[in-house]
Amino acid sequence: MELKNLVKDHVEWRHQIFKLAKSDLIKTYSGAALGWAWAIIKPSVTIFVYWFAFSIGLRHRGDIYGFPFFLWLIAGMVPWFYIQEMLTQGTTCMRRYKHLITKMKFPVSTIPTFVGMSKFAVHLLLFAIVIVIYFLFGEPFTLYYLQLPIYMLLMFLFCVGWTLFGSVLAAISQDFANLVKSFTTALFWLSGIMWPVNKITNHVGRMLLKMNPITFTCEGYRNCLIHKVWIWQEPKELAVYLVEIVIMWALALWAFKKLKKDMPDVL
Amino acid sequence: MEKEENIIEFRHVTKTYKLYKNDKQRLMAVFNKRIKYIPKKAVNDLSFVIKRGEAVAFLGKNGAGKSTILKIVTGVTYPTEGEVIVRGRVSALLELTAGFDKEMTGRENIYLKGQIMGIRDEEIHKLEETIVDFADIGDYMDQPVRSYSSGMKARLGFAININTHPEILIIDEALSVGDKAFRRKCVSKVNEIMDSEDVTLLFVTHSTDMAREFCHRGIVLKNGKQIYDADIDSALDLYETAINVKKKPDTKDA
Repeated sequence: MELKNLVKDHVEWRHQIFKLAKSDLIKTYSGAALGWAWAIIKPSVTIFVYWFAFSIGLRHRGDIYGFPFFLWLIAGMVPWFYIQEMLTQGTTCMRRYKHLITKMKFPVSTIPTFVGMSKFAVHLLLFAIVIVIYFLFGEPFTLYYLQLPIYMLLMFLFCVGWTLFGSVLAAISQDFANLVKSFTTALFWLSGIMWPVNKITNHVGRMLLKMNPITFTCEGYRNCLIHKVWIWQEPKELAVYLVEIVIMWALALWAFKKLKKDMPDVL
Repeated sequence: MEKEENIIEFRHVTKTYKLYKNDKQRLMAVFNKRIKYIPKKAVNDLSFVIKRGEAVAFLGKNGAGKSTILKIVTGVTYPTEGEVIVRGRVSALLELTAGFDKEMTGRENIYLKGQIMGIRDEEIHKLEETIVDFADIGDYMDQPVRSYSSGMKARLGFAININTHPEILIIDEALSVGDKAFRRKCVSKVNEIMDSEDVTLLFVTHSTDMAREFCHRGIVLKNGKQIYDADIDSALDLYETAINVKKKPDTKDA
């Protein structure tokens, strides 16, 4: 079974996976003079732009659920930055690491995993900053924060599954990589990152937004930081998301099984 | 005796590449079986056995299937049909590079490569100096590999592969870009580890001189089929007269 092989490879190569995640992280930021600062500058600029557009420019975002728009925004944006990295950088990971595929014997299925781990380290850094900002705004630490690792783990699982699926197809065809790139913006606006989903009155629109796995993640982070809701208090959303993870992994394993032998010949 | 152990076995191995009209067709073929492609047999029903400690040269024109065979032995690419048995750790220099990360420096690549091969950091640390000395590329060791010339890449790749105790050493064209002095160094090092550590060598080159220096057995290939398998001198004779029309020694066919 493909899943068994995948798990076996991950266990056998666990040391190498950690080492490669570390080197991926260092490589991403070591080439520039400001280095690590870019991990913070880029997201900060994006957040500033959205905050400016919605708070100053369009002027219709006051407090949301009693929280300043800025705090509400960053709680959803920070997981999105991770998802976005996995959609763009993750999808091209097989091409970027083709020397591991075409020049030596290496368990290819672990490439999305260590890329996912490297991006996750940046995510943790950004999230630590979010916590500090909440603290500076005078928000007290609550027990709900403790369920954050669960949401993070679920997001990681979904994104690595996606990346395995997407990167294999992108390795076979550049068209697929371009397709993903052009849909990234759409996925952002058709999710609950910029709008509070439960306040959307259009029934169909709300359902569609809620089906988007990105919405679950962002709302999950906000459940911890803003809504103060436990993960099991929204069982329907959780069930849908778990089903989506299973579907994602089924697709990923199908694509990987079908194309792993073609990849070294194409890259 | 250990000498008699079959370290590599190919049993009726065929490798077919699928050539699609374009990338789009290849993507479509994932979802639709009816998309047409041109099957190209790079290796065609090939069988051979290589014993531990042998040094074998694969001879043939471009596209004869030499590199594909080495890639199959390395485990990088999969045979379409047939069975391949490889017993031992393979160290390969495929198309000049040993799988370098172009964005990282030479030194970082030594560690990366060592880590991927499962060597512990302390041991890599010990090997580092030997590798740096052998590669002898000076200050370039701490520059990104993307700034290397092909000769430097071959030097570093060779230095890493030969100093990490391989059981099967695969060299694909890598030495054709090195200068005379480096080549001599490689020849003596290869001979040394072949004697002391019973290393098996698979070698692809268009230079008949180098094949003669390294190998004692030659396999001549034509269109993915094995047409001759014997001692290196008669294999080279056949290669030069029957396959290589130019008939001059040490020529590279276009």
